[in-house]
Amino acid sequence: MPMITLSDIPARGGSPFTPAMGVFLLALSTAPFSLPAVGLYQYLGIEVAIWLIVALGFNLLFGYIGLHSFGHGAYLGIGAYAFGLFQQEIAVSLWGGLLAAISAATIAGGIVAAFISHRRGIYYALMTIAFGQIFWFCAIKLHGVTGGEDGLLGIPRPDFVLGPIRFSLADNTSLYWFSAVLLALVAIGLWRLVNAPFGRVLQAIRQNETRARFVGYDVWRIKWLTFTLSAAFAGLAGGLFSMAQESAYPDVMSLHQSGLIVMMILVGGGLVSFWGPVLGVILYFVARDVIGGITETWLLWFGLMFVIMVMSRPEGIAGLIHVARTRLGHAPAGRSAPKPTEV
Amino acid sequence: MFELVPHIINGLTLGLLFALIALGFTLIVGVMEVINLAHGAMFALGAYFAMTTIGGGWFGGTEFGQWWLTLPIGTRYAIGVIVGPLMAAGAGMILELCLRPTYGKAPLYGLLLTFGAALVIEEIIRLSWGTGEQSLPVPQAINGAFFMGGLIFSKYKFFAAGFAIIAIFGVWAFLEKTPYGAIIKAGAHDSEMVRALGYDLSKLRLLVFGFGAALAGLAGTVMAPIWGLRPHIGIDVIIPAFLIIVVGGVGSFWGAVIAAVLVGLSVGITGAYAPAWSMLSMYLLLIAIVGFRARGLLGRKSALEN
Amino acid sequence: MALFEAQNLRKRFGARVVLENISLSIEDGTVHGIMGPNGAGKTTCFHVLTGHHAPDAGRITFAGRDITGKKPHQIARMGISRSFQIMNLFDDTVVIENVILALPEFRSSGLNPIRDVFGNTALIDRALAVLDQVGLAHRAWEKAAALPYGERRALEIAVALAPEPRIVFLDEPTSGLGTDATRALADLIRDLRNRYTICLIEHDMRFLFDLADRISVIHWGQVIDENTPANLRANKWVARSALGEVA
Repeated sequence: MPMITLSDIPARGGSPFTPAMGVFLLALSTAPFSLPAVGLYQYLGIEVAIWLIVALGFNLLFGYIGLHSFGHGAYLGIGAYAFGLFQQEIAVSLWGGLLAAISAATIAGGIVAAFISHRRGIYYALMTIAFGQIFWFCAIKLHGVTGGEDGLLGIPRPDFVLGPIRFSLADNTSLYWFSAVLLALVAIGLWRLVNAPFGRVLQAIRQNETRARFVGYDVWRIKWLTFTLSAAFAGLAGGLFSMAQESAYPDVMSLHQSGLIVMMILVGGGLVSFWGPVLGVILYFVARDVIGGITETWLLWFGLMFVIMVMSRPEGIAGLIHVARTRLGHAPAGRSAPKPTEV
Repeated sequence: MFELVPHIINGLTLGLLFALIALGFTLIVGVMEVINLAHGAMFALGAYFAMTTIGGGWFGGTEFGQWWLTLPIGTRYAIGVIVGPLMAAGAGMILELCLRPTYGKAPLYGLLLTFGAALVIEEIIRLSWGTGEQSLPVPQAINGAFFMGGLIFSKYKFFAAGFAIIAIFGVWAFLEKTPYGAIIKAGAHDSEMVRALGYDLSKLRLLVFGFGAALAGLAGTVMAPIWGLRPHIGIDVIIPAFLIIVVGGVGSFWGAVIAAVLVGLSVGITGAYAPAWSMLSMYLLLIAIVGFRARGLLGRKSALEN
Repeated sequence: MALFEAQNLRKRFGARVVLENISLSIEDGTVHGIMGPNGAGKTTCFHVLTGHHAPDAGRITFAGRDITGKKPHQIARMGISRSFQIMNLFDDTVVIENVILALPEFRSSGLNPIRDVFGNTALIDRALAVLDQVGLAHRAWEKAAALPYGERRALEIAVALAPEPRIVFLDEPTSGLGTDATRALADLIRDLRNRYTICLIEHDMRFLFDLADRISVIHWGQVIDENTPANLRANKWVARSALGEVA
């Protein structure tokens, strides 16, 4: 069966009221109850939410516009450090910290994107690795600012304050709800974005940059924008991350961690589906916590699964689901847009 | 000015060893048009296997193991220097076999696969040998320091540099003077033509991958006493390797060697002024060059330009 | 004043000078041909005229404006459109979306993060009308990659026509087509000439001489003659250096 792409899974138009979104939001809202029921812990929900924000934002770049970055962990880390430093140096504030996290990551992403957006392919990928390594290196060496290898410790969890409403995020359940709401907004927003003209243009650029240029799109600017946007999402997630851990470490900026993001996306099926990254993140955590509970070698198995998937079915889990549904006659195959009701 | 000399020697040594890595890398890229992100993992594997060989690790408490350790370290080291690269070559060939399903598809998949392989291999190293820093024992004769002109020089670095020079010429002789080498060179230029001439392309690919990986493993073995032995040394090698072939040009032998020495020197000299940041100079160099559209000193347009 | 003018264009790649001195002048409402042997620089000429490469020297003007060195997307937005000899389509996308992406109404909303694309019937109708012009309306909802070669060629032209350009550059549109398809293409271009100014590169002499009002002959990176087909037939030099038969 020939390979399918993101353009294959039928686009339903921009309405967020789809079955998949419904399932997703349902899962999000019941997680605090379902997780303990299967013997897992609250904190996991926060972690999953954080990585989902990273993954969904990252897939704009990796899957939709087809630019492969292997250094995205850096923006997560920058967001985390920015949040922490804001709390420690400026003010203990939730919104201030998150704004700092997003801004720092966006600026870093924007600078990097300015250097690389005229490229694609392997040069692009290697440049992202180089930049990622530079940021990671700086995080380790700049002891005074980041605490070096020991990390930035003692980051407080500021209270949620909105007008008259105020509550603490100190316990994991509250922080989970906060993260889940942010995640829901991110997911709905991104869903609208990729089904709007912007998303179609991204996919066009992925398929043929030259043609996109010659029909009038400023391809460089759109590539720059997409990278910067995906860095911004990573920064937001980073802010949440440092809140959750109450600290920030360099290791999330390493090539190892950036590679894990790529693996999650591919295994889940980010190359063929909006929801692919979600499946990938969930699978990663299943591997880490369930298989990891049995053996130390869980990461090896996850990596091997990734390698085997690249060899045999790069469309990932989402792709496998699509194939299964087509074979069972459920999903329409081959069309990338619904026909209008009038001919 | 004279104080720079040890740093220049460091840089030269580093550069010559980088040249070995880069040569293996460029051969693979030239023949396969695959960027082998696992090349660094081959480097690491070579070093770790060499270390285990020298220490007799596999045969542990057995009789053979005991006897092994009674051999002079020079002998064990020499054997280690052979075994390390051989094991790396084996890993390289397995990797090539795994890459086969991705040929003909978009270059992304080869890239992802070698990247995944790099992380898998690093994880295997972590699980088999531990995450801590290890060291590769070397014979006393080439260990330690000596004085010259009021400065301290490391004996091992001279040995490593000399060894690298011999190895580079060995590779050159292999490529220029032997029939296998000629086929590899031809394959690096035009793999279709090689197949049309009747050579088995899949055997050629296997050979090239093995040979390239062996070079990386050899570099790893020789470099381990200088750079240290940790699971993630493989990653530290990929960017320099890529930088070197971009600067020196894909598929160019002397381009790779000259560029490698230049890169090594820049790291070595930066080390004189800001030692903690010397590795960073390579990343900055890559960004400067690739960011501004260079095609290298001696290279041609290749499949890299996607 | 001519609609599109190029003066003394020069372009080199490394040590090779591909375009020595190219000048041409395309009048509004005409079909202008470019011919010459392989390696003469025809495609590079196109690339320079349409902004894919900036010339090292020389000037290009369009409707009185200097467009030398402008980027491809800027040139496309000014009403200059092109097709490619090696086809450049959005292969994974359906045919109608290939056209929609080229429509200015869509493009100007291209960064819009909200609007719904396929619910917009006006866009769909416009795209179908364009596809109708090249006879592909019945294939609107199939993937571009699934189309047979001749229809992909037609789609390539449709995408070039979609933005209602003032001038269309066609790079060897008959490449790889059989006799019937070539004839259909000639008919299409005859239809189009009433609405667009066309500049085309062609190897097929008969095709070119039938359709073009004026032809520039390029050899060794220079325009060695520019004239009507009738006059060119009489030029022995041209007959000797050009490829193919001159009927």
